[in-house]
Amino acid sequence: MNDINSFLSRLNSIINFSTILPKIILIVGLITIVITDLVNKGKNANFLYKIFLISTLVSMGILFYQLISVIAFEDLYTNNTFNNLFRFFILICSFISVLLSVDYVLCSKISLVEFPLFKISAGLGGMILSCATNLITIYVSLEFLALSSCFLSGYTKRDIRSNEASMKFLLMSGASSSSLLNDFSLLYGFSDGQVQLDNIIDKILFSQYIPIICISAAFILAGTAFKLSLFPFHQWTPDVYEGSPTPVVAFFSVTSKVAALCLFTRLFRLIFPYLSNEWHIVVELLAISSMILGNLIVVTQRSFKRMLAYSSISQIGYVMIGILAADLENGYASMITYRFIYIFMNLGTFARITPFSLRTGSDNIKDYAGLYMKDPVLTFSLVLCLLSLGGIPPLSGFFGKLYLFWHGWKAGLYLSVTVALVTSVISIFYYLKIIKLMLTKTTNLVDTLKTYENQKSLVSSIISTKLKSSVEMAMILCALASTLSGLFMDPIIKITRNTFF
Amino acid sequence: MNLSELIHEFILALIEPGILVGSIGTVSFINTANSAFSLGLVFTCISLLYFALNADFIAAAQLLVYVGAINVLIVFAVMITDQSVSSDSEKCGIGYFTALGACSILFLTIVCIFHKLNDFYSSSIHQSEYLKLNLFEQNDVQNIGYQLLNKFLVPFELASLLLLVALVGAINPARDED
Repeated sequence: MNDINSFLSRLNSIINFSTILPKIILIVGLITIVITDLVNKGKNANFLYKIFLISTLVSMGILFYQLISVIAFEDLYTNNTFNNLFRFFILICSFISVLLSVDYVLCSKISLVEFPLFKISAGLGGMILSCATNLITIYVSLEFLALSSCFLSGYTKRDIRSNEASMKFLLMSGASSSSLLNDFSLLYGFSDGQVQLDNIIDKILFSQYIPIICISAAFILAGTAFKLSLFPFHQWTPDVYEGSPTPVVAFFSVTSKVAALCLFTRLFRLIFPYLSNEWHIVVELLAISSMILGNLIVVTQRSFKRMLAYSSISQIGYVMIGILAADLENGYASMITYRFIYIFMNLGTFARITPFSLRTGSDNIKDYAGLYMKDPVLTFSLVLCLLSLGGIPPLSGFFGKLYLFWHGWKAGLYLSVTVALVTSVISIFYYLKIIKLMLTKTTNLVDTLKTYENQKSLVSSIISTKLKSSVEMAMILCALASTLSGLFMDPIIKITRNTFF
Repeated sequence: MNLSELIHEFILALIEPGILVGSIGTVSFINTANSAFSLGLVFTCISLLYFALNADFIAAAQLLVYVGAINVLIVFAVMITDQSVSSDSEKCGIGYFTALGACSILFLTIVCIFHKLNDFYSSSIHQSEYLKLNLFEQNDVQNIGYQLLNKFLVPFELASLLLLVALVGAINPARDED
């Protein structure tokens, strides 16, 4: 009887806590989708997407208005600004990427239900990863995210490249998470049975096994750098990006990188505060190599998605500078701000590629030639997003990069910032190459573009107008965000400032 | 040695040859089905070892997961693939010596670690502390259940959701669509 009473009081306190409420809403949305599809037997696909969007919006709203910071489940995760920001980002990513995937899924005639299911579960995994401080929760949520992303990337099962992409992703993510698990078992053993990240450093400090910490740092790096696609662990990125369906690439190019960044920062900050010189050097080396490699290889690419894969590898190099430059008064402001802007830039670019590849079925950069004549809206917004990725002044990418590099220079990372500046110039070169290709009027159009107009009308007759405009809504949202965020930079920086822990 | 220690040593002496024979059989049988079944023998003997070490939850988990799921999966996979018995597995190529070197280094590392731990743990101070913990009176399974629902509630529920998503994701590429 006593147990029942205490359990009921615990249940009451659980309901009163607002920390896990956004996640509970996502879980409820997930279950509702499954049950709705069972009941409706495949009809009424719009409704499922609306459920997804509504649940994401509601949890975003709750997270946004969370004024009272309640510390719930103290053993499992805490509730500080760092966590909240990352969770908010993941929700934004999920929301926008579903907006731009509706068209694609309907057109390619693949099964409709599991798509929002996997997206919700990946978003859920990312959210719990962002605020986990327990080794076990970190591992389970990381596996959740990886597994859902893997299913998403193999979603178009009739496409051979999609099968190849999901096999590669599954195998390599399995290898990297086994390395991470190995490291967690090392940390668990040497901290005398502690699973909480805070308690681990307390216990390890009193032991003499400093080389053990170095070994475990190497394992953690191998495990988390895979998801971030840092330099030696980036090999999966171009193949998986090229093979998976485009809206899926949009989704996990932002979501899993945001979640993995949060994990990386937290692990290295909490566990190795006394080895900061050593791991700074290693991370700096990896960042420089990622930047150089990403920006040099991308020049030779012929496929748009592969090019975006290599450019995301180099963007991670820039973000690593932000992690290394964190100090007491500014926290991780530069990294988080750049990440926020990067979400919109990246999703905006994908929001343009998706309708293009739907209408013409091609991914080659050469097929974008002369797009200006056929579809000026798409061209103009793609130009904006690409310039923002490159870092041209009035757009927000410039302000993000400026803040990042200024922070890095102030923290004394002279070599990294110099390399980053040089490679940014290289990146501007290849973005401008694409833009020039799109904007020049060619007399003999590429064959794919000749059929552009026809297919566009075919698409719009199949889908109702509501769905057709969702991609355009995402497009406009991202274009606005990537241009105007630069003006609203100051309040964003102010919010992201107190994130040091 | 008193009677209980004698029985303990006797049981261990029965289990360990089982593990050795099973693992040698796994590696050296030419017929893959025999090899898969001797892997099952290895897993079963390991779970009996866990019983002898008084870790009943892990022993049951080992039986269920390793023998009941993983080994059955391996046997299915072996029996589905159409294999002719290959007879050229006796060559001692460069891979053989590399694997031999790596495994012997690993073995020596583990032996050294165990020696050091043995010296560390058999000092009398440590043994008295260990006996004070009185581990044999606890109920492991009840403890694990309690911790799962209190301290580790979030990973537990998340793991159940993970199973749901994994099931859906596994059926999704495999099902036949009209």
